[in-house]
Amino acid sequence: MAGIAIDRVTKRFGTTVAVRGLSLQVEDREFVTLLGPSGCGKTTLLRLIAGFMAPDEGAIRVGAATLSTPAGVVPPERRGMGMVFQNYAVWPHKSVYDNVAFGLQVRRIARAEIRARVARVLELVNLAGLDARYPNELSGGQQQRVALARSLVVEPAILLLDEPLSNLDAKLRERMRWELKDVQRRTGITFVYVTHDQSEALALSDRIAVMHQGELQQYGAPREVYTRPANRTVADFMGLVNLIPARVRRPGPAGAVAVGGEHIVEVALPPGLAEGASVQVAVRPESVRVGVLAPGAAVGFGAVPGKVVDLTFLGNLVDCHVTLGDGTRIRVQVDPGQRLEIGLPVSVEIDAAAATVFMEGPEMAPPTPHAPRPG
Amino acid sequence: MSLSAGPATLAPGTAPVVAGGVRAERAVMAVAMVSLALLVVLPLAFLGWGSVSEEGRPTLEHFREALSNRLYVTALRNSLVLGTWTAVLSIAIGLPLAWAVSRTDVPARRFVHVTALIAYLTPPYLTAIAFVNLFSPNAGLVNRLMRDGLGAPALTFNVFSMSGLVLVTVLHTFPFVYLLAASALESVDASMEESAQILGAGRWRTAAAITGPLVAPAVLSGALIAFVNAIALFGSQAIIGLPGRVFTLPTRIYALFDYPPQYGLASAMSLVFVAITVIALALQRRYLARRSFVTVGGKGSRPRRQALGPARWGVFAFCVAVFVIAVLAPYLTLLAVSVSRSWGLAFWQNLTLEHYRFVLFEYDVTRRAIRNSLLLAAGTATLTVLLGSLIGWIDLRTTLRGRRLLDYTSLIPLGLPGIVVAVALIQFWLRVPVPIYGTLLIILLAYTGRYVPLAVRSANAAFRQIDPALEESARITGAGWLRTFGAVTLPLARPGLFAGWLLVFVPAIQELSASILLFSSQSITLAVAVYNLYETGALEPVAALAIVTMVIITAAIALATRLGRGGTKSPPVEGAGLAQ
Repeated sequence: MAGIAIDRVTKRFGTTVAVRGLSLQVEDREFVTLLGPSGCGKTTLLRLIAGFMAPDEGAIRVGAATLSTPAGVVPPERRGMGMVFQNYAVWPHKSVYDNVAFGLQVRRIARAEIRARVARVLELVNLAGLDARYPNELSGGQQQRVALARSLVVEPAILLLDEPLSNLDAKLRERMRWELKDVQRRTGITFVYVTHDQSEALALSDRIAVMHQGELQQYGAPREVYTRPANRTVADFMGLVNLIPARVRRPGPAGAVAVGGEHIVEVALPPGLAEGASVQVAVRPESVRVGVLAPGAAVGFGAVPGKVVDLTFLGNLVDCHVTLGDGTRIRVQVDPGQRLEIGLPVSVEIDAAAATVFMEGPEMAPPTPHAPRPG
Repeated sequence: MSLSAGPATLAPGTAPVVAGGVRAERAVMAVAMVSLALLVVLPLAFLGWGSVSEEGRPTLEHFREALSNRLYVTALRNSLVLGTWTAVLSIAIGLPLAWAVSRTDVPARRFVHVTALIAYLTPPYLTAIAFVNLFSPNAGLVNRLMRDGLGAPALTFNVFSMSGLVLVTVLHTFPFVYLLAASALESVDASMEESAQILGAGRWRTAAAITGPLVAPAVLSGALIAFVNAIALFGSQAIIGLPGRVFTLPTRIYALFDYPPQYGLASAMSLVFVAITVIALALQRRYLARRSFVTVGGKGSRPRRQALGPARWGVFAFCVAVFVIAVLAPYLTLLAVSVSRSWGLAFWQNLTLEHYRFVLFEYDVTRRAIRNSLLLAAGTATLTVLLGSLIGWIDLRTTLRGRRLLDYTSLIPLGLPGIVVAVALIQFWLRVPVPIYGTLLIILLAYTGRYVPLAVRSANAAFRQIDPALEESARITGAGWLRTFGAVTLPLARPGLFAGWLLVFVPAIQELSASILLFSSQSITLAVAVYNLYETGALEPVAALAIVTMVIITAAIALATRLGRGGTKSPPVEGAGLAQ
């Protein structure tokens, strides 16, 4: 059992609070990503899990054992975890073999077995045959794999990864992303992965914990976090999002709002909103459709009239900017096959199933710390 | 891959333990604190108390005496005059050399650089002895040549004077200005000067308005270091100053230990000495702090070299002159004296190796001194690097309270001239019931205390280059605190720590200023042996011993360097996971 329970943990540095009363449950064999902008406390949380620092409040448990409390921590070397650092931290004075073998040597494992296990893990990360090389003779991606192999060879129950792909170029990053996921599936190790790259988080995770200013904003499956962000911070961080001002016309789950003047759009509304209240409809560019409007024609029910003001060709898609009647500017992802021109009147349709309505004003939506594990 | 059961955690329900590393950290801190207390803090406290007490009763008599008696006021004034002239002349020699090497197309720049390094590494008391052989009023070779050979007594020069003392001292101190100025000049990017020129400033205007102000802090800083070093050199001040009745602070303090020793007055004089040194170093820090803007822009800078045309041969002649006076003349003189039966104008007619036979085989002090100096230098270098590593590690890798204080305390000896360290140790160890006075151990303590700042700085720089993640990844892989230090930290810090070792070894093997008050016939060191033999007036054997000393120092440095470089299996560690 290597589930991790983080229980109301707070960590301060002087007067700044890096992690604030944060609770999080990571299940055994799960791939959980801590996602957030730099300074959100995600790396601090990871280092708390690793035991490099003690929490000021709260506790961290793995299985049935308490590993960290303000009174003391089990030191990192006795946690049986693995960790991959952002800059790999491959020891420059040791060969690939010695880097990987170190953890086994610490555990006083017989030499023959060390040799066999190092060979096996180097195979696993596609580094077979490079054992005699030194880190300065390796590419960034290879060093990254040495760091991974070094962590995996001791067969940890939990592997912590601190932005392990951020120093790689885009192509390699994608490939390593796939390999990491593959290793996690094959070994069944619990992964806690820190990143600020939302696409990485979406691609890799079983669950994503979105953090902001030391607090957990949302914890859920990638699809849920992406399509049903708990608040504007999450919506904004998970990728491009249109925040369209609107007014409530019919409250409730089968509600309706007026957008771009008096055009009714049917969408589920959160409870506690009265008719006439100002809200924002959050919808991603790929969940909006535009259609060319014949001159003089009116839009259909549920659609909003607008005008194309900018078009940027991006290869596999076109980034289209549309202004609505009230001046609101929204971005829409359009198929390159669709013929559009700047100045063209269009009808804009919002996919209500992929839209979320937030209240106007300061952030109100509560975070959901203990969301159930997805199916 | 199969998986082992789970993490090696505690039994369910038990409270977590405090990391074992915390206890170890405290133990390391305690060791470092006790060491610094014994080496620096307690001796200084006893020095302070000794300066304001007489037989256990407080008194200000010693300070009154030190600051009013003509003998001591003169010594103070002479020290300041010596330091000031040395600083000024160090600029006069060091700055043109630095400019020539880093900014012009003068030939043989590497040769100029090596000249400065040799001048710095040559023990100043050897230079002093060499110049005595050339310029002592009656027997000096050059003086005899002028007076008897050329019949021009007006061209003689008496080395036993303040001028002689300044000359000999500056040959040792100009490299401080040279090194700092050269690195500052190197780091001024050509674009800064070119921007001034494009705006219409001529060559001189650019030098005065741009280059000068940019490198001035480094030059002044070098001059202040030259000042501090110059006034602390006991050897040259005794060899040149005493015959010429030019007393300075170190020689006066030394004389106070003649029977009956005046410990109180010596302590008060020592503190006056420390005050001067500390003021100079405080000024130096201020200047150096202002220098930072050069080094910030200095990354990958492109210094501009000026084509001097035929003038470069004039500049080259200046460089050669420095080489001849600072390196060639002293060494050739010592060599010539050491093989001449009787030093004089016709010395080359009667060459002999007799003096080498004497100092190596008959004078039994020599072998003891060689053994002692090698032991002391190696022991001091090892101890200081160990202590420096502890202090540097505590400062950089722990959050223990008091670690900054520890770091500052370790830098105190920078402000203590060698002879003051000796006075302080005597004050302390004569008052505690541990009989180490007159042993090698007290000299070892003196050296270790004196040179610990060099090692602390080296260790600090060495550890700073190691990304903490390299150590953390060893911890999370299962290595404990000690194992991590041995398997990761130490191997990575090794080159830097070895540089620190050598940085201490080199001055320690030629140390005289503190040893002169602490040695006994059994614990005599090389430098003291040279000085004692010189005092007997035997010029030729002294020269032989001086040459032997230089050979041993050079061989030891070469051997240490080779040992330090050898044994490294791994390729160079640039890049690859190290912090930028």
